[in-house]
This record gives sequence, structure tokens and C-alpha cells, in this order.
Amino acid sequence: MKAYELIKETFCRHIFILIVHLSWFAVYGLFFIVFEPYNWGFQMFLYIWGGCLLPLILSTGIFGNDIASGRICVLVTKPLWPGELYIYRLTGLSLQGALHLILAGCGIFIVHIFTGIGNIDNLSLWVLSSWLLFNTWAAMSTSLSVVVKRAYNCMFLAVAIITINILASILSYSHSGDTVTKVFMALLKYAGPPFEFLSELAKGNFSLIKSAACVTHTLMLTVFYGIIGIIILSKRQFICERD
Amino acid sequence: MIYNDNKQMSAVECKQLTKVYKSLLSGRSKAVCALKNISLSVSKGQIVGLIGPNGAGKSTLLNLIAGLIFPTEGCLTICGHPARSIKARSGLGYMSEHPSFLNRYSARAILRYHGALLGLSRKAISIQTDKSTQQLQMEEFIDRPCSDFSQGMRQRLALAIALMNDPQLLLLDEPSNGLDPVGIVQLRDLLKRLRDSGTAIVISSHRLGELEKLTSDYIFLYRGEVVSFGDRIVSGQAGRLRIELVSNGSDMAKKLLSPSKVLCVSDTELDIIIDDVDDVPDIVSDLVKIGARIRSVNLQTEDIEDVFLRLYNERT
Repeated sequence: MKAYELIKETFCRHIFILIVHLSWFAVYGLFFIVFEPYNWGFQMFLYIWGGCLLPLILSTGIFGNDIASGRICVLVTKPLWPGELYIYRLTGLSLQGALHLILAGCGIFIVHIFTGIGNIDNLSLWVLSSWLLFNTWAAMSTSLSVVVKRAYNCMFLAVAIITINILASILSYSHSGDTVTKVFMALLKYAGPPFEFLSELAKGNFSLIKSAACVTHTLMLTVFYGIIGIIILSKRQFICERD
Repeated sequence: MIYNDNKQMSAVECKQLTKVYKSLLSGRSKAVCALKNISLSVSKGQIVGLIGPNGAGKSTLLNLIAGLIFPTEGCLTICGHPARSIKARSGLGYMSEHPSFLNRYSARAILRYHGALLGLSRKAISIQTDKSTQQLQMEEFIDRPCSDFSQGMRQRLALAIALMNDPQLLLLDEPSNGLDPVGIVQLRDLLKRLRDSGTAIVISSHRLGELEKLTSDYIFLYRGEVVSFGDRIVSGQAGRLRIELVSNGSDMAKKLLSPSKVLCVSDTELDIIIDDVDDVPDIVSDLVKIGARIRSVNLQTEDIEDVFLRLYNERT
């Protein structure tokens, strides 16, 4: 009952959640009409649009809105372990992501069957990779939402991604051999959401052991970001005042 | 503190509670001491009014009891369990000053949501929802989305949420905000019934007249300190005494009374503050002893507003 209500809340908390899902599907359709993708173009678009951007939008203000409205003050006085609040909400996001990506995958499959456009090789792997990536981003964004008010988690994360990528490009262009650059790039590769690894996994470039390692690494990162969020939530003080 | 006897267990027990707000950015110099060495106890079946001027620390104390913030120093137990523990929270009902809900949810869905968070079964939630709907006159809007709610409806729903688990301790922050006169009377009756059933209730409110109708126990906070607590501030004990004299009122006042107790003095009238109504016979007898000829004695007991103003004026 508790789990059901908290999971349901992640979908029902705002009308924009439904609008986001529908508009994402519309964008997939638009991409298909405009670009008529072949090979892995469609899957890669699903991976970026559904696996990276969707979790940021869906987790917008997932805790921050409650903090800003003062609603969190009533929630944290309930006899709940703070982790429960966090885990069920993240599970809600993860289930939304799974459902969304499966539907999108079915769409790609149907379009390919009827038109022959695109490629459905490794489609299930692309959907799985997108979902794993979705979970990592969702955990990161949800944890950030425990710290910042309103919907700033999404904005901060987007700014951080852009800044880090620009920095990475500059470093690899101007100081490619430096130790600092190597450490920074390694940190980005292993501690950040594993965009590169999962896309290789989806393309089928990894052996079974490497694939298992990649999935484990992604799950560990998701858990790590989640634990940070749970610790912050249990240590955070909430002053009950409305913005 | 561990209590073995349930009857003796306090609903709230604070010992040397201090809360200092520190800003991470501004450092130690900007630390604000919101509460200083607060020690108090609230028993089961007691209604306590938390009063004080703005910035006195009422919300901080309420937030500490609710487990929303940590004390910097001191010990705080709720029904014998450390504040913020799951056991302490399971017996706690909290209503904030500005209730906020998911606007897409109906009142019924919100009650179901909070009931689920409390770990209640579907049946128990349904029973509690029906009970709250009746008690708080929510029949008209129970199935309407919260976005349509007036302030009064929001207050009723917030109170219904706070009562979902039949709490042993109920914390209410300005509960009568936005309620119509009928709603206020219903709220008062409900709180009295809850008190009679053993629920401890702590109410923070600026509506002193409303508080007075509910309780005679107050905690007066001023600049983070408890100025007065419990019996020492029982309304009706202190008072204002107006004595009409034939003559020489000012001389009598100088001989007998401390200047801080005298509100108004003239040759024919003395208007004085008394700490205890039991002192009236002694004051009158002393006046007679020094030769005063008294025309009339009029005793006005202090209402809570007078008490508030007196305590406030004593400190400013």
C-alpha cells in the first residue's frame, strides 16, 4: 500500500508528467519522419532522448517541489525510514522509464516491420541500455532534488553536464597527455553515468563477461547516487515555511 | 529517558534543549540561537498553547518536537522515544501552518496516501477517512481536487491528515487559520474531545482568545527562552485590581506598592497589577491599616492577552 502510493505519486504528482511522455513519443515520431533513420540511428536517438533527457525531466522537483511547498514537513513526520521515501520514488521513476522505453521499442519494431526503415538488431539491448542509463540519471537527479528546492535539480544537472563536457573537450584538445586530463577523463568515464559503456553494450561490441561487468558497474553507480540521496534526506533538516 | 509506566510517561519531554542556526556560508559569526536551554514537559491529555512574539522560537520548538530539525544540544523525547525515531513518529500527528497538497489529488486520495504512509490497511484508511469526514465536516469536498480548495478546506484536510493515526501527540501550527466561526467551534470541540481521550496537544497560535477557550496551560517564549510555563501563567490567577479611594491614593500607592505594579494612580483611584488573586485581601487589609478609606474594590482577572502583553512588556 505504502509502496503503491509512493510509486503512483511519481506519475500522478503533476499533469506535466503525462505531457512529457506523450511529447517524447511525438518527438520520436518526428525524428522518424524527418530523418528516416537507418542502421542504429533510431535506437541511438531513443538512447539519448529516452535514456538521458527523459529522467531529468521526469525527476524535475521530485523532492524539491515538496521542499518548496512545505509538504515535505508532513511527509518526514510519518513513521517512515527516509530511504523508503527515496527508494519508492526512484522505483516509480524507474518503472515509468521501463514502460516508456518498452513502448518506444515496440514502436520502433512495428515501424520497421511495416516500412522496413531502420534496424531492429539488438533492439532489446538498446532498450535495456537506455533503461539502465535512465536509472543512473534518475538517481543522480533525485539525489540533487533532495538538496535544492523546486525544479532546480534538472536545471543544475543540465548545466553541470554541459559544463563538464565543454571542460572535457577543452582538456582533451589542449592537454591531451596531461595526468590531470587523464584522471578527469577516467573519473568521467567510470564515476559518471556510463553513456559510452552502455552504448557499446547495446551495439553488441562487448563479450558476455564485459556486458555483465558493464551492467554491474551501471547498477553500482545507480545505487551509489541513490545512497548519497538517502543519506542527505535522513540528515537534512526541514524548516516548515512556504516559499 | 526510559519510562516504564505508561501513565506517568510524558508526551513531550525536553531537557536543556538548545537550537543554534548556523549558516554554512556565513560561518560562526552569523550563528543565531533560536532556543536556549529549554526544559519542559507536556503530559498526556494536556493542551498546551505555545505563545510568544514573532521570532520568539515557537516554530523552532514545534519543528524540533516534530523531528524536522535537530537540536544543537539537549535531549528530547516523544512518548518516551527519542525524537525523529520511527517509534516517536508513529504516535505523532503534525499540522503545519501552510498545508500543501498535490493539487491533482482529491481529499479522499490524499487521506488514502497519508494513511498508506502511516502503514494503515485499506480498511483502516477507509474507516479513518469516514471518521474524519464526519468530524471535520468534509462531506462536501471529500471527492473534489485540492486545487479547488479554500484555505478553510485546506486546514480541515490538514487536520484530518494529522489525526489519521489517532496520535498520542498532536502538534498544530495555527490550526484555526482560515476557518469560519462554525469551523472554529467544531475544531475546539474536537480538540477537547481528543484531550479527554488522552491526546497531548501542542498548539502554536497568535489567536490568544481561541487558545484561552481551549487551555489554561501556556508556554510563553521570548527570544528563545521559556519565560513562563504551566501553572505560573494560568489565566485568571493574575489580575488587575481597581480600588476607589476617598483621598490620598498616590501616597498610599507609594507606601505600599512597587512602581512596576501600578498602572494608574490618582488621589481617588488605584489601578494595579496583581500576580495572584489570593493577594487581594492582603492588599486591601494593608491599605486599611495605613488609613485608606476605600469606596470600592474591582477585580479584573487577566485574560491571556493581558498575560501576553504583561510578559512581553516586562521584557521590552
